[in-house]
Amino acid sequence: MADQLLEQVRDAVEGQIDFEGQRLAELITTVLLGASGIIAFFVGFMAQDIKLALYIGLAGTAVTFVAVVPPWPFYNKNPEPWLPPHTGAVSGIQIDVDGKKVG
Amino acid sequence: MHSALVRVQNVFGFFTTVAFTVAAVIALSTFINPQFPSASVQLRNVQVVRGRPHYYSYKKEEYAHIKFDLDTDLSTLFNWNTKQVFLYLKAIYPSTRASEPASEAIIWDAIIPAASAPWHQNHYIHPNPKKSQTKSKAKPKKNDKAAKKPSEELLYKRGELHLNNQRPKYQITDISGKLQNRTDVVLELGWNVQPWVGALVWANKVDFGVWEGLKGGVSPKFSFPEIGGKKKTEDLGTEKGKEGHRLVVGEEVPIRKDRG
Repeated sequence: MADQLLEQVRDAVEGQIDFEGQRLAELITTVLLGASGIIAFFVGFMAQDIKLALYIGLAGTAVTFVAVVPPWPFYNKNPEPWLPPHTGAVSGIQIDVDGKKVG
Repeated sequence: MHSALVRVQNVFGFFTTVAFTVAAVIALSTFINPQFPSASVQLRNVQVVRGRPHYYSYKKEEYAHIKFDLDTDLSTLFNWNTKQVFLYLKAIYPSTRASEPASEAIIWDAIIPAASAPWHQNHYIHPNPKKSQTKSKAKPKKNDKAAKKPSEELLYKRGELHLNNQRPKYQITDISGKLQNRTDVVLELGWNVQPWVGALVWANKVDFGVWEGLKGGVSPKFSFPEIGGKKKTEDLGTEKGKEGHRLVVGEEVPIRKDRG
């Protein structure tokens, strides 16, 4: 019971996403943060208000954190197909570990 | 980017890069903001007195008390990246030995805040020439917050000063303790522009791109007079003794007669 709970908590904290999701997260980070920096400067410069620039930059960063850090479902749309689990006698699959046959 | 912790580190790492880059661009953006400061400094009165650096000192030194007029327009120094301008007036006089550089001493300074700077007690408040010099008896209450806040309407444009017969903040002395009969003294205006991000910029006389150097800002040459002598006959404006005070029965504070 406790182990199961712990396992669930660990999964939630780790928040793993698949490979395509990782590529997407990287892209979203770059685009959102870069855009918020550029917008912050230009809006601040137009309004001649440096605090506005600061707040736009910080807001953009907060949005990026929310968008990227939690394992949103759209980061897990391409799960990797794993090999089927096998028990006992292996059928046709040879696994070598350090030259020794395993399984 | 496979786990949440790695994503936090990645996002924060790139955020620091973006923040540094934006700050650098903001610092550079001030260079396309044209500025053309101008100033005129005039000596009003100079007097040399003998005094002690502190009460228990055996040494007596000579102190110069310089009153001046200052008219300056530094409004173009205030751009979106300016936090405040530290303005100061130096007295510069040549050393007694030709091989040594001239001495400089600040006689007056002021911190002029930009509109974006939060209120601070050390910010300079321009004296109002229309107000009478005598202080009004009705003092603002301590818990009255409205009285502490700066009045939004400025007397002049931000960075514009018109000081007439201004008293110095600091009386100056020389390292030798001797100051009377020194010649070729000038008053010179200087400043530091303190930005929100970027480098501290000092006053200069040379044009740099769209930044023009300071026009004027140096007074004509004058001399420190002998002790007791005055360049122009004028009251120093210091407080008189206690003769103006009268204690009245039933009153807690002494009533000050008009100093006239």
